[in-house]
Amino acid sequence: MSVNGTLTARALGISRSRRHSRKGIRNGRLAMLYLSPALLVFLVFTIGPAIFVLYISFFNWNLLNPSQSHFVGGGNYTALVHSSDFWNSIVTSVYFVGATVGGSTVLGLGIALLLSRRGIVRRIVRLAVLTPYFTPLVATSIVWVWIFNPQFGLVDSLLRLLHLPEVGWLQSTTWAMPALIVYTLWHDLGFTVIIFLAGLATVSGELREAARVDGANYWHEVRDVVIPQLVNTTLFVVVITTIDSLQAFTQIYTMTGGGPLSATTTTGFLLYQQSFVFYKTGFGAAIAVVLFVVIALFTLLQLRLSRRAA
Amino acid sequence: MQRHRRFIAIGAVLAAVAAPLAASAATTSHRTNVTISFMEAMSSGTQKPTLDDLTQNFESTHPGITINLIAEPNYGVLQQKEEAAIAAGDPPTIGQAYENWAAAYASAKAIIPLDGYVNNKKVGVPKTFKSHIWKGVWNDLFLPDGKIWMWPFNKSDYVLFYNANMLKAAGLSVPTTWAQYAAAEKKVTTGGSWGESLDTGTLSAPANGTLEYLAIVKAFGGTWIKNGKPTLDTKAAVQALQFLDDLKTHGALQVGTNYPEQTALGAGRSAFAVSSIAGYPYMLAAVGGKFNMQVAPLPAGPNGGEGNAMAGTNTVIFTKASAAQRAAAWQFMKYLSSPHATAYWAIKTGYLPVTKSALVYMKKYIATHPYQKIAAEALQYAGGNPPYAWWTQAEGYVAEAMQAVLDNGASPASALATAQQKAMAAASS
Repeated sequence: MSVNGTLTARALGISRSRRHSRKGIRNGRLAMLYLSPALLVFLVFTIGPAIFVLYISFFNWNLLNPSQSHFVGGGNYTALVHSSDFWNSIVTSVYFVGATVGGSTVLGLGIALLLSRRGIVRRIVRLAVLTPYFTPLVATSIVWVWIFNPQFGLVDSLLRLLHLPEVGWLQSTTWAMPALIVYTLWHDLGFTVIIFLAGLATVSGELREAARVDGANYWHEVRDVVIPQLVNTTLFVVVITTIDSLQAFTQIYTMTGGGPLSATTTTGFLLYQQSFVFYKTGFGAAIAVVLFVVIALFTLLQLRLSRRAA
Repeated sequence: MQRHRRFIAIGAVLAAVAAPLAASAATTSHRTNVTISFMEAMSSGTQKPTLDDLTQNFESTHPGITINLIAEPNYGVLQQKEEAAIAAGDPPTIGQAYENWAAAYASAKAIIPLDGYVNNKKVGVPKTFKSHIWKGVWNDLFLPDGKIWMWPFNKSDYVLFYNANMLKAAGLSVPTTWAQYAAAEKKVTTGGSWGESLDTGTLSAPANGTLEYLAIVKAFGGTWIKNGKPTLDTKAAVQALQFLDDLKTHGALQVGTNYPEQTALGAGRSAFAVSSIAGYPYMLAAVGGKFNMQVAPLPAGPNGGEGNAMAGTNTVIFTKASAAQRAAAWQFMKYLSSPHATAYWAIKTGYLPVTKSALVYMKKYIATHPYQKIAAEALQYAGGNPPYAWWTQAEGYVAEAMQAVLDNGASPASALATAQQKAMAAASS
């Protein structure tokens, strides 16, 4: 190649890369332009309010007349640390999240395994398991309030039929939370079943067949071949259901109102109660910030796990 | 034909409402057009068309004033919308408000006192009008600073609904004291039936049962507040909760949620239900003609003490309204409380007339609905929500104390001591 030719090639290379970079910039700008409406909505309705919540968490905030609000620094956070209501809500949240996440993971996997087998009733069962997930929380919560009604409800009618004592499910500090967990599992199980069914579809058929050839029974096949291959799916389910459970509100509001005696007041419900029933807006904002941090940590964990799975 | 007759009847009543107002409208004619907005929660059943009727009638007799009704589905949403509107600096001209809401609004300078209008010689109300407002309702218009901040609108109180057939079968007459009531409840309690069902409510949402208990506290000679502080653990309060706990122990009282008093009475399982008179149509629907349901006043306490809890709201004027809007708003508020209008409202919705002068216009209605007079007269001594912003929280602690005792075995004294301690903290925060 001649000197001229080399120079021409270089010049061509430079102009091509410039063209590419110009095109890249133009594409980037176009992308930003297309994204801007969604970004604007996200900024105005999500990021902006989130920053504002952080801001008012440093104030004794008067919702009705902000000019009467006064700066308290970390006062709301100090009050939070010393609040027995807050720590009780943490314990209640751990109870609720632990039971719903554990229950939905184990039951979701079990049902998915059963549904992944061939059978005539499989589709009907799949539909039955998935349907509650698509029903409105408020409507079905009210139905379950009546199912748990001590005088007229289905559950206590069955207990009476078996000559067992009645239980005031939603009135008892012992039984209100289990009742709430049963409802939540009933409603949300469909989601975990879908995820596990998707995970099961990726499990190597050859490995399962090899295990069977080696004399493994169904339980051994599930324990030693299927479950190890579902680790990423299970982690995804655990993280997502944990975030969902931390945000649970509707069923608590409708079925127990956080009672009896705060037995079902999770941190999410406490946030509502303090902010919108008692109008302790600054204190409620501090709870929201703490809850946000916890959920953000779980979201980061989920993102990291997703990347690892990819 | 029947429909036509109904329209003619409504038209006649509205004409009667309009007639006395036309004169006053003439004297307060508005040269410029004023539009005011009224945020309210009268959106279900007959409430909406009745308020529409009254509003249209007011507008026709007050040319130049236009009322925009902003209907919300319930009180919870109404409160949130009003507060959001105040926070956004764009409140309606007037709104319905409970006493404790009004206290919070006044503290935030979001509403104006009404003394200047109420006592104004030209546009105010005469002494006779004031004296005819039920005493309980009149007392309910003031905040602790002694000023009038609210004007009455939709009021109700608690009454005793009972299954007359069940009482007759048990050889019982209608109880007039809480002691007789307890004896009657125990007598009707068998395997399949019981005295009453109630909802204790929760910390976030007190219910009818909470107010029943508070009414019994008053009948037992107790108070809810004194000198601006909660009094939740008085001797009378402990006795009242012990009274309910005793009924629960005997199986005569059952606890539930979602209006259990309505369900149990309607199903013919309980003999009594204590509920707001405004719930009469719902109670009637639950019974569905299966038996003879009757209404009686709440029983009296040991020393003849009368106690009742007033429900329903007043109206308030928001500070952001212009002078012309405030003047127009006052005209409308005064109109809603006028004998004709409040009688029409009561007849159509089941709420109570806020003034005894209205009973004259309700004679025919009361002849067929005698419970309305019983409930209206109880407004004489019924207590509204104490006008303190912290009462919302204190009432929640009362509900919690009831849950602790009736469902979870705590002693009334210790549960109420805890409630009092928490309420005091809320009052001083």
